[in-house]
Amino acid sequence: MNNKIYKISPGFEKIMPKDYRDLVNDGPFDKKLGVKDLGTFKELIEEHPLCAGCGLALSKRLILASLPSPENTVIVGTTGCSSLSFAQVAIHNIHSIFGNQNALATGLKRALEIRFPDKTKDVVAMGGDGAIGDIGLGMVMHSWFRGEKFTTIMFDNEAYANTGGQESGMSQKGAVLNMAPTGKKYDKLPLPEIARAAGCVYSAVVTPARPKRLEKMVRRAVLLARELGPTYIQIYCPCPTNYKFKPSESLKRTKDMEKSGAYQIKEYISPAAEELIKKFEEEK
Amino acid sequence: MYFAAKVDKEKCNGCKLCILSCPEPNVIKFNKDDKKVVIDAKRCKNCELCVVGCPSKAIEIVLLQDS
Ligand SMILES: Cc1ncc(C[n+]2csc(CCOP(=O)(O)OP(=O)(O)O)c2C)c(N)n1
Ligand code: SF4
Ligand code: SF4
Ligand code: SF4
Ligand SMILES: [Mg+2]
Repeated sequence: MNNKIYKISPGFEKIMPKDYRDLVNDGPFDKKLGVKDLGTFKELIEEHPLCAGCGLALSKRLILASLPSPENTVIVGTTGCSSLSFAQVAIHNIHSIFGNQNALATGLKRALEIRFPDKTKDVVAMGGDGAIGDIGLGMVMHSWFRGEKFTTIMFDNEAYANTGGQESGMSQKGAVLNMAPTGKKYDKLPLPEIARAAGCVYSAVVTPARPKRLEKMVRRAVLLARELGPTYIQIYCPCPTNYKFKPSESLKRTKDMEKSGAYQIKEYISPAAEELIKKFEEEK
Repeated sequence: MYFAAKVDKEKCNGCKLCILSCPEPNVIKFNKDDKKVVIDAKRCKNCELCVVGCPSKAIEIVLLQDS
């Protein structure tokens, strides 16, 4: 994005909303800011309607602060709790019908390469565990098989949260939810391993209790997708509303999940990706 | 009238951990001059994640009166 696009035309400064002016004057565009700078700049997301203590909301804040080139990124979202906080995001983003994010992102990435052959445009598909792991899984996996060069990020709250609490393939075995009262009968899908087998050059799992690790993974995933092929990040997003714990316990629950092994932080890196990571992390 | 988080400047050591545990954007701001944080009560959802995460116990939830 050319920064003329978001700068305010002379004479219009006063009539633009304060939040917009703050974004132009104090936002992260072209400044190479990161997670460690949060609290010192106007963020790329504004007040949203997600529940108090929502782990998805925290993860989204952290992801947006981690993008290596937000001004040249297009996000493809999809139905679910995360979609309720996209109108508030100051990066180009497109909503897709539930589960279609990876199909739409495929066409978008290819079109951007044709339209802007000399520019780098990052495409990031984001969705819930229901959208990525269940309903859209066919489209997700085929984008990986085809080697499409964009990143897929899952907000894994281990439920269909937006529709009142059904189990998803990503729910843990035994999970009890409003609409799964007798408990889920089968294991959580091994999606990070499936991603690796299906052609992702990078597949990682993290939680918002580790903001710096999350940032590193998002940067790696986006930069690798530019050069090599599909990348996948899965983020555990504690949902106090559907799992019925106090909002203040979201991060404690996340740490407990890590400790018990129910949610394991991991990173699968292909040999080619390993080499590239060395290169760009040395350059930095 | 509503509840929101408030920072006790005396106790805050500027570690910024609260900023990284708040799900709400643009709420907790770091003041570069005194190296402490301030919370915009109007944007706070009273989840208490910053309260439980603060190592200095510098944040509490207070009752605000509409002005
Ligand atoms: C094609 C289609 N099927 C079903 C729905 C209903 N629906 C809306 S959100 C949702 C669940 C979303 O779950 P997930 O992707 O995990 O996101 P979350 O809300 O948990 O963040 C469902 C089933 C829909 N909107 N469109
Ligand atoms: S239902 Fe759960 S995931 Fe959805 S906004 Fe509320 S806390 Fe977040
Ligand atoms: S976590 Fe506590 S001590 Fe650290 S910056 Fe926030 S209020 Fe200050
Ligand atoms: S109570 Fe929750 S919403 Fe309010 S400042 Fe603390 S973490 Fe943010
Ligand atoms: Mg979900």
